[in-house]
Amino acid sequence: MLLYENRKQKFLNILRLGLNPFKKFVSTGEIKEDLGIIRSREHFLESIVELIESNKNFILPIIGGVGAGKTHCFWALKEKLYYYNLVYLSLENVYRKFYYKFYSKYIEEMGVKVLRNITSQLCNEWGALERKFGFFHVADIKKVKWKGFLELSKDFEDITILKDVVNVITTHQLDPYKKIEAENWLLGELMDYKALSRLKLLSDLKKKDYAYTMLKILIEKSKLGSVLYLDEFDTIIPMIHPDKSQTSQIYDPSWFYGDDTNPDRLTANKIIDRILNLQNIKGLKIILTMKSIESFVEIKKLIQEKNPDLLYNFREPLILPNFIEKDVFQFYKKSLKSFAKDINYIDFIEAFPDSYFPLNEKILKGIFTKARGNPRQITKYLLKIFNEIIFSGKKLEKIIIEYENEFNL
Amino acid sequence: MTNNDNLVLFDNIKNIRKNGEYSGSIISKCKNESKSVIFSDNITISEDKIVISQGLMVGFDKNGDKKIAFSEKSDFSWIDDFSSIEYSVIISDDIMNQYDEGQFSDAFPYTINLLHTAGLYFNDYKYNIDHLDFFKGEILKNPVAVIFNGICVADRVVIDHRGDPVFYDCLIVGRDQNEELAASYEPLVNVDDKVVEYIIILGIESLKE
Repeated sequence: MLLYENRKQKFLNILRLGLNPFKKFVSTGEIKEDLGIIRSREHFLESIVELIESNKNFILPIIGGVGAGKTHCFWALKEKLYYYNLVYLSLENVYRKFYYKFYSKYIEEMGVKVLRNITSQLCNEWGALERKFGFFHVADIKKVKWKGFLELSKDFEDITILKDVVNVITTHQLDPYKKIEAENWLLGELMDYKALSRLKLLSDLKKKDYAYTMLKILIEKSKLGSVLYLDEFDTIIPMIHPDKSQTSQIYDPSWFYGDDTNPDRLTANKIIDRILNLQNIKGLKIILTMKSIESFVEIKKLIQEKNPDLLYNFREPLILPNFIEKDVFQFYKKSLKSFAKDINYIDFIEAFPDSYFPLNEKILKGIFTKARGNPRQITKYLLKIFNEIIFSGKKLEKIIIEYENEFNL
Repeated sequence: MTNNDNLVLFDNIKNIRKNGEYSGSIISKCKNESKSVIFSDNITISEDKIVISQGLMVGFDKNGDKKIAFSEKSDFSWIDDFSSIEYSVIISDDIMNQYDEGQFSDAFPYTINLLHTAGLYFNDYKYNIDHLDFFKGEILKNPVAVIFNGICVADRVVIDHRGDPVFYDCLIVGRDQNEELAASYEPLVNVDDKVVEYIIILGIESLKE
């Protein structure tokens, strides 16, 4: 039977192979996080879930400082709302082609099978499965298209775009010879003129009106609810009000265009218009994250200037709080447990359920104080200490004493 | 009207006649020389009359010294004398839903859709027609077959390497050992061509309005 000390030494040896349990301190929308949310934030998460489940449309601002865990919150929400199409977009990456990028992500989240089901369901509703003489399915594509167009036309203003979209949906289901091209178009693939002309279309989904129309149809027809999680929304503010004091020596587009026609400002206005336009999609819930309450006030003011009615769907912002002291202990333990599972050494965690080895309670308290409860700063400190344990070659006890001194403990 | 059980509306052999107006998926078999079958979405049965409006009659007709497959859209009625109609059966919604789900040819481009109705096979010592070898390995859409006492309506038929027809997504109406009428859905039916009376491939033009 192994002794406790041996297990600790084995764990240290594994760490010293170069494996750090705290490799990542910045969460992204692309890489899935399994760590879950800490207990003190569960109520916060529950309140978002409740809001999503009890409302059809809303825009919910979430406010949290840099590194407070806004992106991590997306992954926790996604785990909880596994029965939703929850799409993550970082505003930094979607200034251009906003609808197209949202559509691509939405399709990725929804999957091609669901897309096929929805187009099939739509065509059936438009009479594709009508039985001639009680038995035979002979879909009259023209008739199905016309019925589809009539049914959807009350919800859309641009008739030409709607006709094209209905054309692709019916072609996808009823024309076996053009099905592949139609599916590629529906999946948001960029298409050449040859493929487009076969479908009798002028553009692929890069064109914003097509992407918006398709989004509206798919979201409203989807059996699952849909949530757009738009991260770093306040990056729009510097585009609208550039900080003059910082840009005096650096080229600023306003030198060419003036403030009012500044392309950044125009882009920012377009983005806001497009997001507000998404409110017309029934059942789409939007979550916007921003760093401060000032940003929220600024954005609210901007929308008020455009059209105060558009603020109707805005909910009171939820503030994402920093960690409280006991969260650090829970976070540390969760991270080590997840790491132990990854390295197939869960015995270590089971053998020392109450220990914070290789650190101790004092160090964790010190980290919390130094980082002022900011999750990213806490992770950075842990990363630093573990790197030292792994790579410095110093004895663990010495490192612990050094950090206790650094934290004035 | 939604029906979950197949319903025999009329059976000349078992003396069944259920008066009323019915709509749904109805198959009626005629007792005439051409052994025709009528597909319809309605039928009205009363004491002295059976009326089918805008049904599709399918069968073989004599044309000179040949027999030619036909499908004809028309109103059909029998007054007082019902001897030329063998039975009428309404297929249950459950079975029809299974049949609908099994349809695939819209998503499969290599299915042959005939424009006009044609006879694929006619088992007759005098007017024999056999195009099975010609279509070996092909998928033909909308076949209707009469096999002894049974009728088989399928979404598609494939002629296998032996030259026998294999029906996919089929509705079968026939008589059991006690001569009772029954209908069922089968995803696949393998038939030896010797037991088949005829197979007709419905033309898309005759199905369209």
